[in-house]
Amino acid sequence: MKSIAIITVFGFCCVVWVNIPFPFLVPNGFPSPAYQFQNNPRTREGFELGRKLFYDGILSRDGNFPCSSCHQQFAAFATYEHRLSHGFNDQFSFRNAPGLFNLAWKKELNWDGGVNHIEVQPLAPLLDPHEMAEDLNHVISKVKKDKTYPALFNRVFGSPGINSQRILKALAQFTASLVSADSRYDQMKRGLVHFNQYEQKGYEIFRQKCSRCHQEPLFTDFSYRNTGMAVDSILKDYGRMRITGRKEDSIKFQVPSLRNVFLTFPYGHDGRFVTISEVLEHYNTGVIQSPTLDTGLRKGICISSDDRFYLIYFLETLTDSSFIKNPLFADPNSGVRTKAPAHLH
Amino acid sequence: MPQRIKGLSCSFFLLFLLGSFQKKEMDSTLTIQFRAYVHGMPLELNKKYQNPFGETFEITRFRFYAGKLAPVYADANFRSKIPSHYHLIDFSDCATTRIELPVAAGIIYNGIQFQMGIDSADQNRGAQSGALDPSKGMFWTWNSGYINIKIEGNSPLSTQPAHAFEYHIGGYRDNYNTVWQIKLYSTNEQSFLISKEKKIMIEIGMDLDYLFDGPTAIHISEIPSCMKPGELARKISENFIGTFTGLTIAPNP
Repeated sequence: MKSIAIITVFGFCCVVWVNIPFPFLVPNGFPSPAYQFQNNPRTREGFELGRKLFYDGILSRDGNFPCSSCHQQFAAFATYEHRLSHGFNDQFSFRNAPGLFNLAWKKELNWDGGVNHIEVQPLAPLLDPHEMAEDLNHVISKVKKDKTYPALFNRVFGSPGINSQRILKALAQFTASLVSADSRYDQMKRGLVHFNQYEQKGYEIFRQKCSRCHQEPLFTDFSYRNTGMAVDSILKDYGRMRITGRKEDSIKFQVPSLRNVFLTFPYGHDGRFVTISEVLEHYNTGVIQSPTLDTGLRKGICISSDDRFYLIYFLETLTDSSFIKNPLFADPNSGVRTKAPAHLH
Repeated sequence: MPQRIKGLSCSFFLLFLLGSFQKKEMDSTLTIQFRAYVHGMPLELNKKYQNPFGETFEITRFRFYAGKLAPVYADANFRSKIPSHYHLIDFSDCATTRIELPVAAGIIYNGIQFQMGIDSADQNRGAQSGALDPSKGMFWTWNSGYINIKIEGNSPLSTQPAHAFEYHIGGYRDNYNTVWQIKLYSTNEQSFLISKEKKIMIEIGMDLDYLFDGPTAIHISEIPSCMKPGELARKISENFIGTFTGLTIAPNP
């Protein structure tokens, strides 16, 4: 009797592919994430499918613009050294590509918070005529016709079929898994290393002058703020107001995380600041007054050249070198890249 | 101990309540037919009409979301079980304008209730399928949210390229909510009994004159497009719900 049961169970396991659960670990000290893979249980197979899609040009109209063309691992998944990214037909994107990490904690995505859920985020670049310039039904038909995808989708979702929901859920398995929490700062917090005196001094200045908006441990409070940047005459980007239609939200943008800030230059929603020094100088002397300016910035932030010196030491501790070299997040075909390939410039 | 008895009697009462709700099985069906009219004649796509302001127009595409559709009990003490799903009514595909609704037989109903548009809870569920699949072309990607009503056409009076007019009506946040709860009763206050044998078809009539000549006057020459959530979208949605004029009850052919 016992042996029959064992054989039955064994046979069942052979017939039905069981996806391996792939638990999502919340780093120590981090709050509970907004996205907890509800209705999209995280499995190794699902993660790998999302990763394959992320690095595959099949999602773009001409095949040249996978998600990874603008979100490069060596730049913490921002576009390395570009104010705006390049998309279909040599066009520029509307905004500076943000780094992709710790997205599971974001309730609203994009600089203006216009995207309300991580699973629907890829639709924005996918259908934007300046970026991947695709049509959703066309993407689905291409993925369906591919040699490898149908079997992978079948395995991940337990039944044959490819639709937008499955593509988006698979992508979310990958993007929500991009956790960056192993910088020198994190190691210091865990007691593994000690800051040197410059870093420590910078950390103190940071807590005094920057952490009101760039709150630890995610280094953002996810709020929308007008930081006194002039509106670009060509882009005419009014940020959050574009979403809510409210005057009070004019020129407000979501506070970006400062994690990996050394890798994600240029800075600002349109990438107008090339270096960290320029950003700090903006707060020091460049803030432009307007009705919706953040109340804490009416007089700017006094950042002396000494402050700047120490702050830069501290900000460098936010670089997570294990994140940008993690083979799990790398292109499944070519592995970890350490610098920008020539064709991406 | 008394606490426990209280708890027990409470749970018995709850069970009783549950039982009284559950005893109505969905053992019959009700056919609901959405039908749009212009000047009393059924709408035909790509056909020229005049709106109440004398503007010539034709409609090339006409879709909207209706969800949580259920018949209303004539006895106000009872409420129908409201299904949670949505239907994309698309007048270019007549199969989508007719909905077979599972209902409980042996009950007297006197109306139909539904929700026009996708409410905020259902707007924030991430990647969805079926009627809510973003590949249906009813989803804004840059400002996440479903387009609740999509009306496209052309008119010589439109100032847009190709004389097109486009009303993409959506928005669920704060003051710009375009989602409405609608209850419709039959035009002569008639109630209707649904039995297992005698099936009924209910037509929900829509008079498109009210789309233009509603609480807000929409002249195509002045407002040829609305493509984002906002005050205008909210106003057009208010006009749109005015097009639902009532129910006509007929035996299911």
